[in-house]
Amino acid sequence: MRSDWHNRILFLIALVLAAIYLFPLYWMYVTSLKTGSAIFAVPPEILPTDPQWGTYGEVWATTNIPRYLWNSMLIATGVTAVTAILGAGAAYVLARYRNVWIDVALFTVLMLQVLPPSLMVTPIFVGFATIGLLDFPRTAAVLAIAAKTMPFFVILCRATFMTIPRELEEAALVDGNSRAGAFFFIVLPLARNGILVAALLIFMQGFGEYVYSASLIADNRLQPASIGMTNFLQPNVVNWNAIMAFAATYVTPILAAFVLLQRQIVNGLTSGALK
Amino acid sequence: MTLFKSFRDGIGFDTLLIGFALLYLFAFAGLPLIYNVIISFQQVDVFSLGTLLHPSAGWDNYLAIFRDPLANMVFWNTVIFTVGSVAFQFTIGFAFALFFHQKFPGATWFRGLFLAAWVMPGLVVGVLWNWLLSGDFGVINHVLLTTGLIAEPIFWRSDIDVALYSVILANIWYGMPFNMILLSVGLAAIPDDLYEAAELDGATAWQKFWTITLPMMRATIGAVLALGTIFTLQQFDLFAAITSGGPAGSSTVAQYWSWQLSFREFDFGRGAVISVMMIIVVLAVSLVYVRSTRAETRL
Repeated sequence: MRSDWHNRILFLIALVLAAIYLFPLYWMYVTSLKTGSAIFAVPPEILPTDPQWGTYGEVWATTNIPRYLWNSMLIATGVTAVTAILGAGAAYVLARYRNVWIDVALFTVLMLQVLPPSLMVTPIFVGFATIGLLDFPRTAAVLAIAAKTMPFFVILCRATFMTIPRELEEAALVDGNSRAGAFFFIVLPLARNGILVAALLIFMQGFGEYVYSASLIADNRLQPASIGMTNFLQPNVVNWNAIMAFAATYVTPILAAFVLLQRQIVNGLTSGALK
Repeated sequence: MTLFKSFRDGIGFDTLLIGFALLYLFAFAGLPLIYNVIISFQQVDVFSLGTLLHPSAGWDNYLAIFRDPLANMVFWNTVIFTVGSVAFQFTIGFAFALFFHQKFPGATWFRGLFLAAWVMPGLVVGVLWNWLLSGDFGVINHVLLTTGLIAEPIFWRSDIDVALYSVILANIWYGMPFNMILLSVGLAAIPDDLYEAAELDGATAWQKFWTITLPMMRATIGAVLALGTIFTLQQFDLFAAITSGGPAGSSTVAQYWSWQLSFREFDFGRGAVISVMMIIVVLAVSLVYVRSTRAETRL
């Protein structure tokens, strides 16, 4: 059975490639479990000999991580809500019609997708300062981030709406539904999975966002976990086990969601990004 | 009541749906774009920040940037960072996509697994690489030293000649999976019978790659290269977490410099100058992207 062996070798190579590639993630978890002296051992221990689970408790208790995560959660929720509520309808219209105006709108959305946040934050900060929005820092961050995530969300959702047969909607209209009724009760439920995956991706982006939060939120009590991480990063840091415990606490929910929904996320991405 | 009826059951409904989103984007992306150009001609610092009208600066901000001793280095850093990142993300991503295109059990699942890197927050990726690249205790230096590839530890983050490349390294790792996934989609779209016909004609694997795979992938490759460039020009978090643009500005790229001028030196006028110039570059690249996606799928 030549092809059987062939497959096994390919499988093995894939395993090795994935292991090497994802080593940084493994190293994060291993470092977080080492003692303060073991992290500087030469040669480095690949497996922690004496796992220090207590580090997680200490970091949780001493670094304000609950507050940071709560702020990340609030910002991500706000961003996802604004993006999904405004974006889903736009994506639907962009998928349903084909004319010059729709082309122009689509072109605009595609172009807005590319603006780098670290460049947009200068005019946004000055503008927000002028109209007083900086007094509500987290709201300001949500508004700015949502403008960045919405084009991406619209592109992904548009691809989903394009797969829904127009006839289903027309049948609903014949049955006496209004346009609004057909949209909310027929089209949206059919597009639910695609919208949820896109919303999850937006939530992840909002949860990990850094540039806007770091620039617009000055008050430490309102800052998200990404800024909490940078507070660790003083020159000549030594407590890498604590930093990695913080990082692991922060990203494990994201990685868990990714592992559970890997297939849906990959499908959602590939259907949208190139279409 | 006809207006209300239109909103519920006519063209007004569609206008409403897309109108809110476009209005939002105009307010929080369109207006800042215009405002950006305006403040690049103004003097905006901590004193004039909250006021409605900032003092005019003419071309002073632009002249200050062009005369800045950092400008030349930042320009070349940006070029090296972008070209280096995109070239390696793309070639490694292409190689991986070709590898996983062979149909063996678990191929799709393994390929998807790589995206775990891509879903991570950029700042956390930066902090991980900061630790991996640590000079004295970093695991990467340890591997390079024990395998004899280097004789002395490399001080990745603090060596003026290397700092930029340590960020490039992290960025290649971060962006490669996305390149791979998009290229996989392009590969999957090539009809199998093309390869079968070539095999009947006795073509080698190498010939098939150059005469079938590459030409058929042209639109995808264009889109992926453009997207890679766009994402690389957006990269900020890795700089903040690994080198902070240092030492001595040796790893500062334009998008980071613009932010530093605004939020570290509080000179928003000069920050806006770089922002305006970079946005023009980014928009030019995205024209390529929009065109190549159009060619492929006819939007």
